[in-house]
Amino acid sequence: MATKSIHPEEKFKADKMGSRLFKFGAAAGLGLLALSIVLGSMKGDHWRRFLHAYVIGWSFVVSIAVGSLFFIIVHHVARAKWGIVLRRLAEFMASTLPWLGVLGLGFLLPVLFGNKQLYFWTEPSLHEQSHPLWHHMHHKLGWLDPWFFGARYVFYFLIFSGMALYFAGKSRAMDSAPDDATAASIADRLRVAAGPSILVFALTTVFFATDLFMTFQPLWYSTIYSVVWFAGGMIATYSTLALLARVLQQFGKLSHSVTVEHYHDIGKYMFGWTFFWIYTAFSQFMLQWYGNMPEETVFYNYRMFSEWKWVSLAVLLGQWAFPYLCLVTRWTKRILPLLMFLAVWQLVFHWVEIYWNIMPNAQWGTDQAGNLMGPLYGDPANHKIGFHFMDLTLWLAMVGLFIAGIGKVMKGNLIPVKDPKLGECLAFENY
Amino acid sequence: MSTTDDDKPNGGNGTDEELHGLLAEFDTPGALIAAARKVKNAGYTEFDCYSPFPVHGIDAAMGIKATKLPWVVFLGGLSGLFLGTLMQWWMNAYDWPWNVAGKPTWSIPANVPISYETTILLSVLTTFFGMWAANKLPQVWHPFFRLDRFARVTDDGFFLGIEAGDKRFELEQTKQLLVAAGASHVEECSVDARPAARSVPRWIWAVMPIMTMLALIPIALVYKARATKSPDPHYHIFSDMDFQPKAKSDQPFAEFADGRANRAQAGGTVARGQLKADDGYYRGLGNGQWLSGLPAQVEVTPALLDRGQERYNIYCAPCHGFDGAGHGIVPERVAMLGGAWEARNLVERSSAVIKMPNGQIFNTISNGNNTMMGYASQIPVEDRWAIVLYVRALQRSQNAVESELPPGSEVR
Repeated sequence: MATKSIHPEEKFKADKMGSRLFKFGAAAGLGLLALSIVLGSMKGDHWRRFLHAYVIGWSFVVSIAVGSLFFIIVHHVARAKWGIVLRRLAEFMASTLPWLGVLGLGFLLPVLFGNKQLYFWTEPSLHEQSHPLWHHMHHKLGWLDPWFFGARYVFYFLIFSGMALYFAGKSRAMDSAPDDATAASIADRLRVAAGPSILVFALTTVFFATDLFMTFQPLWYSTIYSVVWFAGGMIATYSTLALLARVLQQFGKLSHSVTVEHYHDIGKYMFGWTFFWIYTAFSQFMLQWYGNMPEETVFYNYRMFSEWKWVSLAVLLGQWAFPYLCLVTRWTKRILPLLMFLAVWQLVFHWVEIYWNIMPNAQWGTDQAGNLMGPLYGDPANHKIGFHFMDLTLWLAMVGLFIAGIGKVMKGNLIPVKDPKLGECLAFENY
Repeated sequence: MSTTDDDKPNGGNGTDEELHGLLAEFDTPGALIAAARKVKNAGYTEFDCYSPFPVHGIDAAMGIKATKLPWVVFLGGLSGLFLGTLMQWWMNAYDWPWNVAGKPTWSIPANVPISYETTILLSVLTTFFGMWAANKLPQVWHPFFRLDRFARVTDDGFFLGIEAGDKRFELEQTKQLLVAAGASHVEECSVDARPAARSVPRWIWAVMPIMTMLALIPIALVYKARATKSPDPHYHIFSDMDFQPKAKSDQPFAEFADGRANRAQAGGTVARGQLKADDGYYRGLGNGQWLSGLPAQVEVTPALLDRGQERYNIYCAPCHGFDGAGHGIVPERVAMLGGAWEARNLVERSSAVIKMPNGQIFNTISNGNNTMMGYASQIPVEDRWAIVLYVRALQRSQNAVESELPPGSEVR
């Protein structure tokens, strides 16, 4: 294998980048959050819309942080070389997980302290046998108890954050290793840790996405839901990675280390995950559509036969068809402005997809006897998108606070300078 | 660096030979890449590199343009998508439309998995055979095969060959170029100049049609056999598999005195759990009459009614309908196909089922009636009683009058 050493003029120290990103992200995030709170208080729907939009924006950034953790683990377990110059950036992104866990308290605390507008399973009348849904819900309510839910939330974030901080911390320790042998032994330690971490990661992600996002529709069944969430997050992770590296290059950092070859590989992964996403999303759709059972089709019934059908179509074309066709060929991944455009496109549609996934649950119905029947009830023709400006500002607020989180942890070297395989990564070429 | 012997060009017999080109050997892949770049820069186009494994960067060094194969594959994939979809439309919607539970014969989502597979299939086939075509494969013989040294190309030899047909080719000059490029060995390669020696031998033209005809014989025999009657018995290839020394149920079996394979239960005995002496519970009978009440084992509880509803919706509703009025999906399908069969209405006032004693309904579920088959093998006894209860509940609810409604109910 050909190897290279770090270019003598390379600027690979974070220096002021961290505080720049932090200031920008915090200002934008807090400003937009304040604006959203004002908008939310004007809506007069007991914060129902606000909380749903909050979870959507939060899910967007968490899926990227969780995806970055997966990027790190997979690179260690496969001893991958191509992405070593990007690994530290992924470590910054994954290290925001504790902060995102805190950010999630914005909707978790209301749920814990009596809010009944976000998750339908918090509705007390479901516990009464006279409620028409008691029969379907009573055995689930043991799991879907607000405090048990909160305990699981803490548990998930302890695992995610623990893994992220372990991998990021060890990797940083490698930078200050006194000699090559120490650095190599740290790399080995990380590789050994990565194997079991993948299992822990997979289980945690499955339960996390099911608990946090699928329980919006507590009567709906799907066994692949969390995989779809994860797949969408992976598209966004690689898109963010490309954008973050490019932004750093605009500030003169890493201009020699991250080459078009690395962007090309990021593009391949964007392509691959885009297809994996449609594969899982269509698997869910086709089995439920074909099976035609009410407890499964309810999800699509309200997304295909209401105003939401246009959003469904946009997700299909925007999250899959267009970027898929654009990324299928080699040259689009090697023209950086084009790749950056596609990365931004993918991120926008990642948000649209999460919005499409969660927001239809914000409209609840009641039956004729006056029982609250929760989301996805009644005639789909009456189901409205009800777009509110707050939906956008909360998303961008979360993005801002995520960027602030990245800025906060962005210190020291921007690439793992002592990684034993760094030389091979710097010389990496696609043939 | 060995020299070539002009009297005996390598690999030839010395007469009627013409020069095919020069073959140069290099010690490392790096040297091969450097040499390729040099040869390209010298203006040669008719040359190629040979190595035991793919050498990264060699295509750029040789000046080979990016392959057009991906576009061909893309078209192949699109053809697969189109043909796969067309195939499904032709099979399902045009040539043999088949009504499955009233689902449409043509619906895009159902076709996606197959179209996806055919897209992949044709993409893969175009990749594989397109690569062959682009590389002029399969190539069974090459002039360089005449050189012993060239055999090492599949082991540890790195070669660069320049053809004599190249515009720039001048034997001595080209040789010097290759030596200067770092070749450890340069060798001339010649081929037989006689036209006869360079074409396919004549006997092959005779053998090919004969072999083709012979290859058709087995196929012709199979074709003949499918339309021919024969009084001969079947030919048994594995007769010990076709005729196994074992007893099969309901077949003659000479080893037993009564000549039957089946062994009856010994007289006067009952197998464990098979007694079923309780006529009421197991057959719905009491003193030879249909039971009008319920057997003592059946305790009416909401849970049992729920169970009955669930079992009814699984086993009975397909014909009798969820409300018992006989409008299940099966009669609907019969009507769709032009038939006239209807399932019994279990709930209307004039229905015989209203007046039937419980035991008789139980018996009908167990053993069937008219076109209805018996469900004794599918539904356990307790569940059959649960269904009886649920049918009663349906009859009651479908014929309820206002005065029977519980207080507080709303009449619409």
